[in-house]
Amino acid sequence: MPENLLTVRGLHKVYGKRDSKFEALRGINLKINRGESVAIVGKSGSGKSTLMHLLALLDRPTKGEIILDGTNTSKLKQRDLNKLRNKEFGFVFQQFFMNANDTVLNNVILPLKIAGVGAKERRRRAMHALTIVGLESKAKNKASDLSGGQKQRVCIARAIVNNPAVIFADEPTGNLDSNTGAKVEETLFSLNRDKDITLIIVTHDEELAEKCNRQIRISDGRIESDEDLATEREIEAEIAAENEELRKNHKTGDMDADGLRDDATVSHVKVKEVK
Amino acid sequence: MKALDIIKEANQSLLRNKLRSFLTILAIFIGSFVIIISTAINAGVNDFIDKQMESAGGEDYLEIMSTATSDSINSLMNGEVIKEYDKKSTNQSDLQITDEQVEKARKIDGLQSIDLMTQFQVEYFKLEGFDKKYSSMGFNLMPRGTLRMDLTAGRMPNNDDETTYEILVGQDYVKYFGFEKDEDIVGKKITLYAPETLKCSMTGNADDCTKPVELTIVGVQAPGVMAMGGARINVAAMNRITDINYAGLPNEARVSVMATAQVDPDRIDEIKDKLAEIGLTAMSIEDEIGQIKTFFDAMLTVLKIFGGIALVAASIGIINTLLMSVQERTREIGLDKALGMSNGRVFATFAIEAISLGFWGSLFGIIVSFLIGQAVNFVTHETILSSLPTFQLIIFRAVDLISITLIIMLIALLAGVLPARKASKKDPIDSLRYE
Ligand SMILES: Nc1ncnc2c1ncn2[C@@H]1O[C@H](COP(=O)(O)OP(=O)(O)OP(=O)(O)O)[C@@H](O)[C@H]1O
Ligand SMILES: [Mg+2]
Repeated sequence: MPENLLTVRGLHKVYGKRDSKFEALRGINLKINRGESVAIVGKSGSGKSTLMHLLALLDRPTKGEIILDGTNTSKLKQRDLNKLRNKEFGFVFQQFFMNANDTVLNNVILPLKIAGVGAKERRRRAMHALTIVGLESKAKNKASDLSGGQKQRVCIARAIVNNPAVIFADEPTGNLDSNTGAKVEETLFSLNRDKDITLIIVTHDEELAEKCNRQIRISDGRIESDEDLATEREIEAEIAAENEELRKNHKTGDMDADGLRDDATVSHVKVKEVK
Repeated sequence: MKALDIIKEANQSLLRNKLRSFLTILAIFIGSFVIIISTAINAGVNDFIDKQMESAGGEDYLEIMSTATSDSINSLMNGEVIKEYDKKSTNQSDLQITDEQVEKARKIDGLQSIDLMTQFQVEYFKLEGFDKKYSSMGFNLMPRGTLRMDLTAGRMPNNDDETTYEILVGQDYVKYFGFEKDEDIVGKKITLYAPETLKCSMTGNADDCTKPVELTIVGVQAPGVMAMGGARINVAAMNRITDINYAGLPNEARVSVMATAQVDPDRIDEIKDKLAEIGLTAMSIEDEIGQIKTFFDAMLTVLKIFGGIALVAASIGIINTLLMSVQERTREIGLDKALGMSNGRVFATFAIEAISLGFWGSLFGIIVSFLIGQAVNFVTHETILSSLPTFQLIIFRAVDLISITLIIMLIALLAGVLPARKASKKDPIDSLRYE
């Protein structure tokens, strides 16, 4: 029985206010198990990055909840969210966000520095992470001197230096040619295989998506298709049941109408089976 | 993230933009330099005055003038050269201290003695062992009381005996007459030739109308502000000389605008009040020092205000520098926050960057002031202040330096609040989203 890592229930994200209001996510339900590699795919503007930011706890949903390892994250304080991200998550972005003027080693050290790890220990762990991505020889180089593929591997080293449970990658190969992209992909998947790190990759690249053991297709802020459809139906049913419960309670006067879960969007989710 | 890491980080990011940081630090430096150097001068001057006064004693000494004189001096100080005639305050005779006032003063409890300081004249003097006549810049009074001068040899003139004439000379005398040691001039007789003014005005020949007064040199005075003027005679000698000067003239001709008094130091305030009642204004040594100090304080406060204004301008520079830095590092801040850095830490990073700017500016201020201060002390010692070997014009006190540095760091911190808030409020997603 696979261990559940993330459960997402009725996730909504609305950007802007009044006239410029835009609903980027319109009711997302999903479960991700530990050790999975998940590709989030979809057209540009469909809400992939928005979903990833919410999953990675970089942003708070307008509605809905994200349960990480049994903890309902919507109840956590900002400080605890920061700690959680620092401890459990690794990030890889399309534009290899790094401090270009700093050394490779210092870039990799950053999460440990934020965590308050001692100087000696964090150096050791950063060197280890660099060895894993095959760049230990570049530790002392300035980050700006590296090639694109090397930069992205440094970012991966930075993402794994804190032994995270999940790596979130937004278009990790988007800025790379196919050869160097393949090297980066290989590094990511080997981490998934060998270290059981969960991968959540946002990508346009169908080939990369195929390599993941599960693809979630987003369209207009809703899940268009997912291999683990059964779970989603399960969550839907769960929400519906809870709402029924709430309605009953409401009738007996225990709760007011505001307590009702908005399941309207859930019922609109168009779920398609993919083989 | 540890505090030391934040401090290191802040300084590294200052180093990343060397020129910009340097210019900001330069602006802070200018302000801190002015403040540090004026504080150091203030300390030097006060220290000097205190040292001089410590050795001077004189707790029982009052300098007295008529209230009318004191008022007109004050008017003059305030720039009131001409004012409406007022019989009371402008009456010339009121400027003098009258015999009646002296009589009343003598009756005040705790006032032990009062001596009128009549203007006296000495035509020339002769020194034992030398034939020639010499003239001098002048002779001052050594008043009764515990007032002491810094001596290099001998003792203070005695004021107990009304018939012993004694004098204290400056080191100039030792030098001029070629004595080897200061002690060598002590015990020598000096004869002052006092003119009988009335007689002289008729004969016109100074030799025929002067009378000698023989004094004993009892001590040599060390150089210092108190030594200005060369020599000090005791009260007995002064009285003898004025008697000669005013021989044959009516008593009213003896014009005395000043008097000195010896009083009980514990009752000095009470005595001053009583003197005021009879139209006399008295100043103690402390009052006089206070006046001098107030004058210097005021002058140096003006300088410090200029330094403060420079610092205000510099803090606008700090705000500007940091705002630019926040702008440039938007993505870096976003990354830090995505990787779990709290808003407080982001705020602290920029706040400490601001404080570091203040610290470095102030440190350079200290270093440069110190070097310039040492140079100035050295040069003035060799030149204009060579006669005052104990005087250091510029004194750096650790308390001053530390508190100035802390204040400047605080000002820098305040300047850093706005940019640091801006940085800490940045949304990690917004800053990471696009190139
Ligand atoms: N801060 C924001 N304010 C307003 N609208 C936003 C904001 N962020 C995203 N959006 C909108 O939300 C929608 C989803 O954006 P998102 O970045 O998630 O798309 P995406 O699927 O990642 O697209 P791409 O493949 O181009 O990266 C888009 O229409 C976008 O314009
Ligand atoms: Mg995107």
